Amino acid sequence: MENIPAHCNCNILILGCGNILFGDDGFGPNVAEELQKNYNLPEDIVVINAGSSVRNILFDITLSERRPRKIIIVDAVDAGKTPGEIFELPIDEIPEKKIDDFSMHQLPTSNLLKELKDFCKVDVIIIACQVENIPEEVTTSISKKITDAIPEVCKRINEIIKNS
Amino acid sequence: MKKIVIHPATRLEGHAKITILLNDEGNVDDVKFQQLDLRGFEKFCIGKPVEELPRIVTSICGVCPWSHHLASAKANDAVFGVQIPPAAKKLRELCNSIAYCEEHILHFYFLAGADFVMGPDADPSVRNVIGIAGKVPDIAKKVVRSRWLGAEMLEIVSGKAIHPVTAVPGGFSKPLTEKERDTALPLAEEVLEFAKFSIDFAKNSIFPNYLDAVKSLGVIKTGFLGTVTEDGTLDLYDGKLRMMDAEGKYEDFKCEDYTDYIGEHIEPWTYMKFPYMKKVGKLSMDLDNPVGVYRTNTLARLNVCDKIRTPLAQKELTEFREKFGRPVQLTLLYHWARLIELLYNAEYAVQLLKDPAITSKDIRIPVKPRAARGIGIVEAPRGTLIHDYETDTQGLVTNVNIIVGTTHNNAPINMSVKRAAIDLIKDGKYDQGMINKIEMCYRAYDPCLSCATHNLDGRLAVKIDILDINGELLDTLKNF
Repeated sequence: MENIPAHCNCNILILGCGNILFGDDGFGPNVAEELQKNYNLPEDIVVINAGSSVRNILFDITLSERRPRKIIIVDAVDAGKTPGEIFELPIDEIPEKKIDDFSMHQLPTSNLLKELKDFCKVDVIIIACQVENIPEEVTTSISKKITDAIPEVCKRINEIIKNS
Repeated sequence: MKKIVIHPATRLEGHAKITILLNDEGNVDDVKFQQLDLRGFEKFCIGKPVEELPRIVTSICGVCPWSHHLASAKANDAVFGVQIPPAAKKLRELCNSIAYCEEHILHFYFLAGADFVMGPDADPSVRNVIGIAGKVPDIAKKVVRSRWLGAEMLEIVSGKAIHPVTAVPGGFSKPLTEKERDTALPLAEEVLEFAKFSIDFAKNSIFPNYLDAVKSLGVIKTGFLGTVTEDGTLDLYDGKLRMMDAEGKYEDFKCEDYTDYIGEHIEPWTYMKFPYMKKVGKLSMDLDNPVGVYRTNTLARLNVCDKIRTPLAQKELTEFREKFGRPVQLTLLYHWARLIELLYNAEYAVQLLKDPAITSKDIRIPVKPRAARGIGIVEAPRGTLIHDYETDTQGLVTNVNIIVGTTHNNAPINMSVKRAAIDLIKDGKYDQGMINKIEMCYRAYDPCLSCATHNLDGRLAVKIDILDINGELLDTLKNF
């Protein structure tokens, strides 16, 4: 039996992050499910709906002797752009307030991702979607503009995989 | 007066903020540890079929989904008024023990271990998981391997490791075949070997170096809460609750009566409530004369139980008590207790898998909706987890109350952090190592604040703002 987790032992790892209980924050998990259901991805690509468990996965990768060559994080972010807008967020450019503000919605594990990139030489890409609404209270409904962005992100990830 | 804000607190699940107020002499006047709470979840559940909750609650927290899943399934059993078949209970307990192993390994080596392996005064840039991987690479490999074994076992037993769905009202949805049991058993035995290694490693190479810190850092005197069986044996899945006072006297009560024993105090500066011993009548977090304060989580469970059902963990408990007494009040010993629990869970997983009854096909009984109240309590890694549901005649949820493990520890965490701050900050002098020692106090409790956030950073940035009495910024320290 192979003794290294698939998420450490793949070529490209795609992690859909977010909490489906917080409205648009469910974007990442929805993208992961769409990729799993409707895309025929090569065997060395692993897609995980990481939900709010992404820390466990990144922790293993950081300590592991084998690591993915590339990690694509898919997440919803409030960066003051147009709701539904898709953009790449370089790790080095994560605004300071994203790291230390007191909001419920933040990028996952920004420091850990930075360490993976700088010390472990893993290519880390963050694909973000501008949220319309992160509710104060629990709800599973996602704004239409965010739902509409899901196929676009999947296409974009597919392109990245093809060109890698 | 100066104000020091550590924001956000590092290496705990989710977010928190520590504010330290200094008086004119530069000594600590007050400390507040603010945590986030899950808001609106109860309202979200109203009107939903109660049997959906075990599946929904796993999204509350990506850190301990199994605990929420099982507490919710147990509350469902109670709402429907059924006793689940013995094999179903064993399968639920097996999943619980495996999930515990994963969590305790993660906490010791990743969240807390860095302080001990690298030392509390080490530069923040190496006092993290990368530092560990570089300093003890062989152990790092074993950690990853053991956690993988855990995930693999959960896949085998339940089919889904991250968002569990297999515990259902009335039992478990998937029997364990003999073939699956034969595959899982050697994996569990390997985790047990790693658990044995971990406690030996900690006892020989880690804890002896920090005994001074253990004896002095953040020490407070409180009561304790945990779950035990009828004969006082540690149980993480089922049993009665035991509330022990600071002197070691205790009272046992049925889970259903928790509201008679646990009161909830509110402070204006935080959303999170402060549970306290209701029978005492009030809560006071005065360090010299605390009233009504109790703790949960590993140290509390080991304090309240009379014994442990597996031989190696029982031997460790005996040794632990010979060294430190009962009840143990030293906050940093939460780590030691955590490793004893790791050993117990690894042993118990092996024991359950060797039990021929675990492969029985009789794992579920049918349930019918009714108007009822059902309370499900499990010991989550971070403390006693209470799910309390009420339904109407159609089985739709009319009321939900959830108390999570970290909430029980709200008052003691505040007290431990304050104790450490008072002892370490004198005449306005502080440095990074001192701030980190304060943080070590709350990390001992393994607080999980991710119920309202998915930011599960292992090493969030720490920012310390030093403000004068007028709120003017005098100085900022940060590690990013």
